[in-house]
Amino acid sequence: MDIKNEVLYRVYFLLFGIVVPASLALVYRTVEITVFEGSRWRAEGEKRYLDYRTVEADRGNILAADGNLLATSIPYFDLYFDAKAAPDEVFEANLDTLAHCLAYYVLEDYTVGGAREYLVSLREGNNRYVPLRQKVSYAEKKFIESFPLFRMGRNRGGFIAEKRSERKRPFGILAQRTIGYVREGAKPVGLEGAYDEALGGQPGQQLMICVDPSKDLWMPVDDLTVIEPESGNDIKTTIDLDIQDITEQALSRAVNVHDAEWGTALVMEVETGAVRAIANLGRTKQGWWETYNHAVGTATEPGSTFKAASVLAMLEDGYLALDDSIRVFEGRAEFYEEVMEDASPYSYRLDSVSLREAFEISSNVGIAKAVEQFYGEKNRRNGNEGAARFIRRLKQFNLHQPVGIEIEGEANPYIKEAYSEEDYWSGTTLPWMSIGYELELTPLQLLTFYNAVANNGKMMKPYMVSAVERNGQVEEQFYPTVLNRRIASKEAVRQLQELLLAVVENEQGTAHKLQAAEYRFAGKTGTAQVNYKKGPRGNSIGGHQASFVGYFPAESPKYSCIVVINKPRRGGFYGGDVAGPVFREIADNIYRAKPQLHPVLNMGAELALDEGSLPGFSLGDPADFRSLMEQLEIRPYGEPETDVSVLRPKGDSLMIEPRTLPEDVVPSVVGLGLRDALSVLENRGLKVSVEGVGKVARQSIKPGTSIRGQQIKLYLR
Amino acid sequence: MRRRRQQAGVGGAVLGRIDWMTFCLFLGLAVIGWMMIFSVSYEEYRQLGPSGFLSTSAGKQAIWLGICGGIFAFIMLFDHKFWQTFAYPVYAFSMLMLVLVLFLGTNIKGATSWFSFGGFSFQPSELAKFGTCLGVSAFLSAYSTDLRNARAQLTVLGLLLVPMLLILLQPDAGSALVFTSFLVVLFRQGLSSTYYIVGGLSIMLLILGLVFPPLPIMIALALLGTAVLAYQLPAQYKGYALGGVAVLGAGSYFLYGLDYGWHVLGALAVAFLVAAFAAYQNRNGRLAFLLAIFLLAGSGLAYAASYGFNQVLKPHQQDRINVWLQPEKCDERGSLYNLAQSKTAIGSGGLEGKGFLNGTMTKLNYVPEQSTDFIFCTIGEEQGFIGAMGIVVLFLLLMLRITVLAERQRSAFARNYAYCVAGIVFIHVFINIGMTMGLMPIIGIPLPLISKGGSSLLGFTLMIAVLLKMDKHRMRA
Repeated sequence: MDIKNEVLYRVYFLLFGIVVPASLALVYRTVEITVFEGSRWRAEGEKRYLDYRTVEADRGNILAADGNLLATSIPYFDLYFDAKAAPDEVFEANLDTLAHCLAYYVLEDYTVGGAREYLVSLREGNNRYVPLRQKVSYAEKKFIESFPLFRMGRNRGGFIAEKRSERKRPFGILAQRTIGYVREGAKPVGLEGAYDEALGGQPGQQLMICVDPSKDLWMPVDDLTVIEPESGNDIKTTIDLDIQDITEQALSRAVNVHDAEWGTALVMEVETGAVRAIANLGRTKQGWWETYNHAVGTATEPGSTFKAASVLAMLEDGYLALDDSIRVFEGRAEFYEEVMEDASPYSYRLDSVSLREAFEISSNVGIAKAVEQFYGEKNRRNGNEGAARFIRRLKQFNLHQPVGIEIEGEANPYIKEAYSEEDYWSGTTLPWMSIGYELELTPLQLLTFYNAVANNGKMMKPYMVSAVERNGQVEEQFYPTVLNRRIASKEAVRQLQELLLAVVENEQGTAHKLQAAEYRFAGKTGTAQVNYKKGPRGNSIGGHQASFVGYFPAESPKYSCIVVINKPRRGGFYGGDVAGPVFREIADNIYRAKPQLHPVLNMGAELALDEGSLPGFSLGDPADFRSLMEQLEIRPYGEPETDVSVLRPKGDSLMIEPRTLPEDVVPSVVGLGLRDALSVLENRGLKVSVEGVGKVARQSIKPGTSIRGQQIKLYLR
Repeated sequence: MRRRRQQAGVGGAVLGRIDWMTFCLFLGLAVIGWMMIFSVSYEEYRQLGPSGFLSTSAGKQAIWLGICGGIFAFIMLFDHKFWQTFAYPVYAFSMLMLVLVLFLGTNIKGATSWFSFGGFSFQPSELAKFGTCLGVSAFLSAYSTDLRNARAQLTVLGLLLVPMLLILLQPDAGSALVFTSFLVVLFRQGLSSTYYIVGGLSIMLLILGLVFPPLPIMIALALLGTAVLAYQLPAQYKGYALGGVAVLGAGSYFLYGLDYGWHVLGALAVAFLVAAFAAYQNRNGRLAFLLAIFLLAGSGLAYAASYGFNQVLKPHQQDRINVWLQPEKCDERGSLYNLAQSKTAIGSGGLEGKGFLNGTMTKLNYVPEQSTDFIFCTIGEEQGFIGAMGIVVLFLLLMLRITVLAERQRSAFARNYAYCVAGIVFIHVFINIGMTMGLMPIIGIPLPLISKGGSSLLGFTLMIAVLLKMDKHRMRA
């Protein structure tokens, strides 16, 4: 091979043996990646590394009736740092100061030198999303954002602040369960759950970049937000913070004193059915907490508090009058071999009492026998309906239906159908139903009934949300709803009101010792046995459920309230001993906190005003006079436009007369209040000094002296 | 034939009689590169606005482009003989810079490769590539140089090892690796093919040693050696011998699977010795001897590669090799992450790409070093398959054209110099583009004329400008 040919071969080898095949390899690889595997890489790129992710909207607030925040979302920030964002020279120029700031305010475990080293190591590392600090407030974030380098923002400074929010209840456990929560993986609870849609708003979407697939960390890409989230609406509840606080405190004391299983207390506004307070406390290992909304969700046998319904049925049917005598059999009777006894010692000595007395002392035998007498068998008097008529009355009182409160989980009431085999109707059913057994009601449902009695028979639907608001503007208003315009005749309801008042006010009444001096209230105690069927006839095997339900003030009821204490273990078990005092405490404190409940002191005929009794001849600012009289509901005459005026009685009212003061000489200000005198004198360029209190009695410069900016001294008395 | 032409002013003096194809390829690549950098750093531009343009990456690159344009014009006007005459001083100067940077340079990302002054920084290793081109060309074109004698070979090796070692001290293995591209010009100048064959085989065995354990490689080598010897036997034994080797091979495969690897190797060693003896009997002892050496050296290399990989290399270095050779063994979210990002960016461009400025992945700092070493991803994402292909084709054309220029030079110096440049361009392009697609290990060297960075742009401008200048005056050499 000659040298020329060899060179040629070598060149060809270089070109076609190396350069061209290498280029072909590159071309092939490009084709492979972009075409053969293209769809795979595109999918990867769009799904795994870059994606539109939902951005949660700010959740709306839950407000108390007065606008106080019951639940709100507090924004906080998680701070991250991308040490590789800044160009070298910028990073180096800011490194020392930043390290200093971080060491002092953020990375408190580091010295300045340590922080500097840490920053350098971050810049050399691969993580572009290093957590700096979690959960900082807006103010802290603002401060940290002002650090050198950080203040250059995300792209040049590498400072990343991600907004998150946290649900806070500013009043702590107050109405905690009723406010509820919405959590991932848990059943939504309370108002948060019921109004989740309104509160939640519309989530937005944002382009996010996956910075660490192994940890599923996503970082939002600035300026590329596609859909802004729309924040949620606020929910205005009917909860009155004062009453809620009063109620929770009273209940809390009671469950602790009596070592109860659980307790609940509800306060409702009589006229509207608005729930003003709802408290639930259940026993946990760490004391009593709002763990379950018993008021709404737990239906139990109410016991004696149900007697009001039984009596109302009989009154409605006109079978009895309050003073009619009914038999109590000395407090013990048998129904088909089942023994019923009275708890009250009164009945042990008596064979018969009036209906009023039977109700006051809560005689089981008396009420049960009466109901048995009138509804026990089908006869002409009950239109051959028998027990069905009794059940019909209960349905008339809406006791068979849930009241339809907004929040989830209302338990259904259980009222047996008359003679129904399915419901295991037996001979003992009717008498035991009449005293509140063999049927189930939630505290809320029972309270709704009592509230209707207090409201003269008009049954209001209980509700907890009065409006959906947005930035303080009402979006949707919820009005009080009538469930039943008249649950019974006016007379029957009035009689029942009288009975309920008697329970408290008559000497033998089961709630007599709860009577209050400042106001009158009406109600009914209840002491139900719990799980009585399981025990071998003992009272205390299953425990008791003490309750009290009533309303106040008795003359014109404003609030109704029910207190239920389940399985008290200490300090008695009767409704009047355990639940009654809680009711009384709640009512007392509400009464004190709400002056509008107090009787008006100056009630009576309108005041007769005449020139003799009206005050007059006072000097002062006419505007002040007018506003004063507006408050006193007196319509004055005259509307002078001067600085000073004088008041003069005229007929049954007062005349405000103008009083002009000279402009160029010192006026007399005697008789004026200090404020008016000062304004008059200083407007004329005089320097005023003062001694004493009261109205101006004397002035140091005589009226009529020409003004030269003198010093004038006023003596007040 | 010499054409007389009226040359108008400086423009004519700069561009007259220039090789237009090379110049257009050069300019085109530089402009495309600038546009890609502008696209990657578009977010910076949006934040700083037009008034802050010069402080963005694209703005700085534009300044560098201006500087390089000036240097290009200057070289065109400068005497073409200067480069040959002062080749060694330029080489020496560039080596001096490499020494100085070790003491005066700034440490960026763990390597002392940069001189920094006033917001700009310069990488002397880029200048060293140019200087070495001149030095090596000058040495090869000297009449006294004959690559067949060891002295000349050692001198060239020295000329290359000085910059390589100095750069390794920074340390910057990628840039040091670039100097192996001078094997191209040495090959053209007639350096014995044996070196290349031995070197190629060694690299092959090393790579095999990185992928497979040494034992199967040794078994395969022994089998191969035995087969070669068997093939050399006289015709009457040949069939039986080859059949025996085939049986041996099958048996080895089976037994190796049963964990009898060392026994198999022993048996094969015996078989090889028997074959070697037979060859010796048939006057083929020399072949047997050479084969024995090859087998021993090969086994040693495979073993060394395996040992070095497992015992010497640090885990992150092992990862890099695994990412290249055995990507299926790597954690997609760990060591393979950068490569996966890079491929995702290229692949997501599809056929036509997402369009200029529309690449999301490369714009969001998603790909590492996306305006420098991984700029090919931006091209892939925004310009798609067509754009990526276009870049490969443009570089291929540039290399072919430089080769054409090389072969038409009358002066040996100019020809050698052109081959040096072609080799350097080739190794940059192949490694850089190859690494973004997993064809080559991830080695941080820039894509010529396209990657961001003034030093690299300046280095290639110098190389190509000097080449064009010498080509312009090839007739007068």
